Amino acid sequence: MNDVFIDVDYAQIYKHGQKIGGDVFLLSRQDASAQIVCTLSDGLGSGVKANVLASLTARMAHKLSFSPMDLTHSAKIIMNTLPVCKERKISYATFTIADLRRSNEDEVLVNLVEYDNPSALMFQGSIPIQWERDKIDLRRDGAFKQEVLGHSQFKLSIGSRLLIFSDGVTQAGMGKSLPLGWRLEGVRSFAQKVIERDPDISSHDLAREVVSRAHTLDRLTAKDDITCMVVYVRKPRRTLVVTGPPFKQEQDSLLVDKIQSFEGKRIVSGGTTAQIVSRIMNRQLKVDMSCWSPQVPPCSKMEGLELVTEGMLTLSKVATALEQKRPAYTLPNDAVKKFIQIMQESDQVHFIVGTKINEAHQDPSIPVEIGIRRTLIGRLQRALEDNYLKETSLEYI
Amino acid sequence: MEKKEKVSVKICVGTACFVQGGADLLLYQDFLDPVVLAGCDIQGVSCIGGCKDDAMQVRPPYVEIAGQVFGEMTQEKLCKLLQEAIHA
Ligand code: FES
Repeated sequence: MNDVFIDVDYAQIYKHGQKIGGDVFLLSRQDASAQIVCTLSDGLGSGVKANVLASLTARMAHKLSFSPMDLTHSAKIIMNTLPVCKERKISYATFTIADLRRSNEDEVLVNLVEYDNPSALMFQGSIPIQWERDKIDLRRDGAFKQEVLGHSQFKLSIGSRLLIFSDGVTQAGMGKSLPLGWRLEGVRSFAQKVIERDPDISSHDLAREVVSRAHTLDRLTAKDDITCMVVYVRKPRRTLVVTGPPFKQEQDSLLVDKIQSFEGKRIVSGGTTAQIVSRIMNRQLKVDMSCWSPQVPPCSKMEGLELVTEGMLTLSKVATALEQKRPAYTLPNDAVKKFIQIMQESDQVHFIVGTKINEAHQDPSIPVEIGIRRTLIGRLQRALEDNYLKETSLEYI
Repeated sequence: MEKKEKVSVKICVGTACFVQGGADLLLYQDFLDPVVLAGCDIQGVSCIGGCKDDAMQVRPPYVEIAGQVFGEMTQEKLCKLLQEAIHA
């Protein structure tokens, strides 16, 4: 598994009274997150027209950055393709494209292209970093103004962040609480304070903080769409899920070694497995009678483990909930909910699946729904990867 | 008056027991008489082994009362057995 995790998220508030945004954010991942491209585009005006411009721009920028084509050329294509606004007689959308690639070391290689959006900000920890951009003049025929792209290439190491936002953020408060708006300096020092206060803040939360601050400066009636996107490079948060007793009893202690040496949160699913772990680690296993629902047996507690649950029923319910993307807060307070909460807080999930056949489940009176362990884990992995963009891995014992 | 020791009750919450009626037994707070509740120390345990024991004559769900395992447990049966147990 990778030692670097790229956490990308964004937050957005539409211009007051609009139901659709003129700022468009796109994100896609390739090759198990080895390459991530995110684009933020701001279309001329607001509402539907702006949204069309911005969506087109973002989508094209996106596609083109996965192609080997030279940047200047792709930027020209984008601008030539945009429809012309009937009133203003110009076609215009700003954009920022960040192409993030995981290199072999603990670093992420960034290719950043900026066109008329406010400059992106970079932080190493909470310290703002300045960097140079190459200016590329497009000199496009029929351009209504000089078009200059900013291009830069740099590395983000663990603990660094990149903030990209629309002018709705930098101009927040203009003419209201601040004569010249919030401006780049304002955003920079605000973000710095937030990171100092909470050094491990997720991209999702940081983007939210910036956006809601801008919204407040606008006295809660945004003059323009307010969008902020954050890239955060950090160590991955890991979770281990152990289910099923090992095929051979001699491997029981090996399993426990694996659990103990794991760095991250640990979940054991399965009564028999939990009993084995409890016996070898010499720690008490206690059933928590307050945490269950009619479909899900109670969870248990054991020191050193984040969660201990029953096996098949719980896992199949977890898989179904993940497949249906059910938010944790809509679930009853049982093992499934706790399980899902832990999954959502993790970036990488490692499964260790014991292959011993559980005699009890050979009982024909047990509902067929309780499939075989392997199938279940396969469903879990797929749901986590496809619906929640988590990385997963699997080993049998 | 000498204080009586509580009766130890273990309800199996393993998969086999849970799906075959064990879930109903976990509502013990609702269906047991308060006097009975006060006289018992009720806990959940993961699989007490009955489901894997071929020699077992009775089917799940299993409950262990004062060291003795009972099968095919229902709410009514548990009420009755615990009444007897605390008066024994
Ligand atoms: S699950 Fe209850 S005895 Fe095995």
